[in-house]
Amino acid sequence: MIHRLGVGSFGLGRRGASAQPGASPVGATSPDSRQRGHPALLPAQLLGRSGLLAGPAALWVVLGVLLVLPMAVFLVQAFSPRLFGAGVQWFTLDNFANAFSGATLQGLADSLGVSAATSLLCVAIGGSLAWGVHRTDLPGRRVWPIMMWALLLVPTFLAAEGWEYLLQPHGVLSQFGIDASPIYGVFFGPLGVVFVLAMSALPYAYITISAALLHLGSEFEEAARVHGAGAWRTTRVMLPILGPALLSAAAIVFAESMSDFGVASTLAASAHFPVATYVLFQAIDNNPADFGLAAAVGWLLVASAAIPIAVQAWALRGRTYAVVSGRTRTPTRSHLSPPVRVLATASIVLLFGLALGAPIVGALVASLLKGFGSEISVSALTLANYRTVFAGDAGLAAPLAFSTGMAALAALGTMVLGLAVARLMAARGGGRLARLTDLVLLGSVALPGIVLAAGYIFAYNLPLLGNVGLDLYETTPLLLMGYVATALPSQARLMVGPVSQLQESLVHAARVHGSSAASAWRRAVLPMLSRILLWAGLLTFAKTLLELPVSQLLYPPGSPPVSVAINSYVAGYHYDIGTAMTVVALGEEFAVILVGLALFALITPRGWRRSLGATP
Amino acid sequence: MIGAVAHRPSGTDASSRTRGAPGRPDDRRILAPGVVIDGATKRFGAKTALDDVSLTIEPGSFLVLLGPSGSGKTTLLRCLAGIERLSAGRIAIGDRLVADGERHHVAPERRDLSMVFQDYALWPHLTAEQNIAFAIARLRLPKSEAARRSRELLGRVGLAGLGERFPNELSGGEQQRVSLARALAAGTGLLLFDEPLSNLDAGLREGLRVEIATLAREAAATSIYITHDQAEAFALADRIGVLHGGRLVQLGTPEDVYLRPVSAFVAQFTGLAGALRASTEGPTGPNQVRVRLDAVDAHAVAVAPAARDAAAGTPGRLMLRHAAVRLAPPSESGIVARIADTAFRGRGYDHAVELPWGDRLVGIHDERRWSRGDTVCLSLDPAACFFFPDDPPPHGAESRSAAVSPAPDRPWPGPQAS
Repeated sequence: MIHRLGVGSFGLGRRGASAQPGASPVGATSPDSRQRGHPALLPAQLLGRSGLLAGPAALWVVLGVLLVLPMAVFLVQAFSPRLFGAGVQWFTLDNFANAFSGATLQGLADSLGVSAATSLLCVAIGGSLAWGVHRTDLPGRRVWPIMMWALLLVPTFLAAEGWEYLLQPHGVLSQFGIDASPIYGVFFGPLGVVFVLAMSALPYAYITISAALLHLGSEFEEAARVHGAGAWRTTRVMLPILGPALLSAAAIVFAESMSDFGVASTLAASAHFPVATYVLFQAIDNNPADFGLAAAVGWLLVASAAIPIAVQAWALRGRTYAVVSGRTRTPTRSHLSPPVRVLATASIVLLFGLALGAPIVGALVASLLKGFGSEISVSALTLANYRTVFAGDAGLAAPLAFSTGMAALAALGTMVLGLAVARLMAARGGGRLARLTDLVLLGSVALPGIVLAAGYIFAYNLPLLGNVGLDLYETTPLLLMGYVATALPSQARLMVGPVSQLQESLVHAARVHGSSAASAWRRAVLPMLSRILLWAGLLTFAKTLLELPVSQLLYPPGSPPVSVAINSYVAGYHYDIGTAMTVVALGEEFAVILVGLALFALITPRGWRRSLGATP
Repeated sequence: MIGAVAHRPSGTDASSRTRGAPGRPDDRRILAPGVVIDGATKRFGAKTALDDVSLTIEPGSFLVLLGPSGSGKTTLLRCLAGIERLSAGRIAIGDRLVADGERHHVAPERRDLSMVFQDYALWPHLTAEQNIAFAIARLRLPKSEAARRSRELLGRVGLAGLGERFPNELSGGEQQRVSLARALAAGTGLLLFDEPLSNLDAGLREGLRVEIATLAREAAATSIYITHDQAEAFALADRIGVLHGGRLVQLGTPEDVYLRPVSAFVAQFTGLAGALRASTEGPTGPNQVRVRLDAVDAHAVAVAPAARDAAAGTPGRLMLRHAAVRLAPPSESGIVARIADTAFRGRGYDHAVELPWGDRLVGIHDERRWSRGDTVCLSLDPAACFFFPDDPPPHGAESRSAAVSPAPDRPWPGPQAS
């Protein structure tokens, strides 16, 4: 039997256990008020100076409430517990001393090792695959990018649990008479953690390297060939040119792995392999909670994101690789010989089989087995688990509806706010403000969800806020804020590219030819950004629907989100219901994305599909 | 006075100011407005991009604003369009005051003008026809009528049949034609052109330039066109305004500007074979001085608007138009030089000559071919030589002499007129 730590039970991690129903959900940061700053932005540029400053100011209030203030209030706990009345010392380094000892130190070391290994694995696999897809006649090169997106949408905790259903002593394989215990022993430890993390972070490496390859014309390869280099020497010339992209890919994967909570709270926790995020979680989950230690670990997690960036800076040492020219032609694809084709295709099929197929099939089959997970298991397929899921009050219907609503609101909020933030960053002459925004967002991308959630628990539970009537703690609005804060940094940065590609003259042309400011936005700008907005919305929806760390720490009592509900059933050995829920939730996630994309293709005008923001 | 005057295309009754009424193509022509700019100033932080520019543009005329990058021409055009706000000064289009300092600013869409952009600014999500229909929308015509007009305009710019193409399916020249059609689409009386040819290959430029010249005049609109290319300016303009450092330094007909540049800058910017150091010896006629070259014992007569009264011996520069220099076989008189380069230009040859002291003169035309290394003798045509002393009189004098047509003394329309 899998030993589980108490990750899943409802009502966990609460301080001040009861909900406060009197709290008004409409605070200063309700979604409505957050969106207010946005539509004024561009017209403001045309209307004058006062308007020009009002937009960014409103936006900065929002960023302050969502990200900067809660993080600052929480992280300062590591040094000065007394500042917000959580201790007696004005200044102390004890929390860092504690963080560098015992199980916490072990967790940090484990996290660093696991993340380094994950980075290497992802860059090697992601880089090879990107090269194959973009530069060779690899079979199925239209399918693999889609599989990458699918991979991106499976949360790590579901992948980890999928492998558990498959491999555990009474798991799916054993039901079919296959003894998986040797693999099980190896898998439930650092190797399994690295594997699941790598499969989940692979899309980031693939997408980063693909983007670089797409911008890199084939002239460098052609020049190498023309001057007599064979395939091997050409590769050796190309690797340094791709160096910055490879290092960025490694940096992103490293940060993703360091901040992951899904594997940390399932597979790693079951295997008694402590990693930093789980140590932080435990520090808050303990009674009494140790916010000082949690904040110290938070500092170290955030700081760890600087490691790969420093490595990157050292490796490049001021060299520039200005390889993007406007005139690059579409590169020719090199031809793979038949044996290489077969080998490459087989490897990729195996890769996606392991990364995507195994956990999903594991969950799918397990969900169809009657009484799966109990000692006496009947190997007969049944839909009973699904009936349980949708029947009565034990089921998934309420959490699924709750999470769907939250995910939709978070998607909407992130689209609107992300666009506003992206405009602020892309604004010409934005100067210091734009750079500061960029820095805050960059820092927040590296900010683990668990640190953010811990910060929210601490900051929004301060008596100070209660005194002024802002009791957001354990309310739905706070959970929504957490979701938006988690999604916003990466989505805003995703939008910066297309937004800055948008020529100002397109808006000016609309104004000059008779459109009002609002109409110019609606008719000339929004269609151009429709694709990137759709993607930002769909990705935020998908990521939020099955988001774990923020959900786990911030959900309002009695309204567990899907991820918490699944973990809770699995933790309570109700694998049958848990797996059925997993399948239904994943199904919804993929269905929403497919329907969204299909609707975009079917009902938007032809020209909208030419809008900015492509998929790799 | 000026602002109230409107130009009416011949054969159209004054009462046919029928915006929005469908009918013959002529019906959508409206009265072209005059434009009055008075003391227009635009500051970006500490930088003054546009410095107290005043000029009047006659209804139905074609004005080209010529200047190097940073001269303020783009800023002036954007202030006219309403994309930028003036820091000080006033702009009236027709009898409407559209900008008065920072206080009063009419939005671009309410100024009743159209614009052709340097980067085309075609909306990539709309087809060529939809791009044009977008501009027609301000006329509130029925959809079918708008589509018909879009197609008609596409035909007029030579793109019949390409209406369903998206911008990225068109070449640069075709995109700029769509942009031109879009600007003509609503029949607005004022057309603005923001360096429309500068992104196009040389081969396409002349064709589209002719099209702009004919279509803008056919539309009987007032046109304001900015460029840094003097050849383009001379070819298109009824009048040229030369901008330098945010100021209007000369305003006049193309002939005025070419034959009587008011400053060394204007002379330089409108095309020179080269400039030689020289100093004055004395006047030889109205607006003319005799100068002596510094480097060699030679004399020349030059047009010298700013140095007529200068004391003998005032140092300065002798600036030579391409046409000022003639090549002849070596002889006793004249400046001896060596042919450095010869380029066949179809109608003859352009030569670069090197003077014994190192200066170079370029673009000197001759029908015969001189070979590289040949020794030649240069003779100079006084009408195409200009002398400018080194220390020009204060800036104000220069621009005052340039203000050929200052803003009129007339009551300005108040903001309520907009």
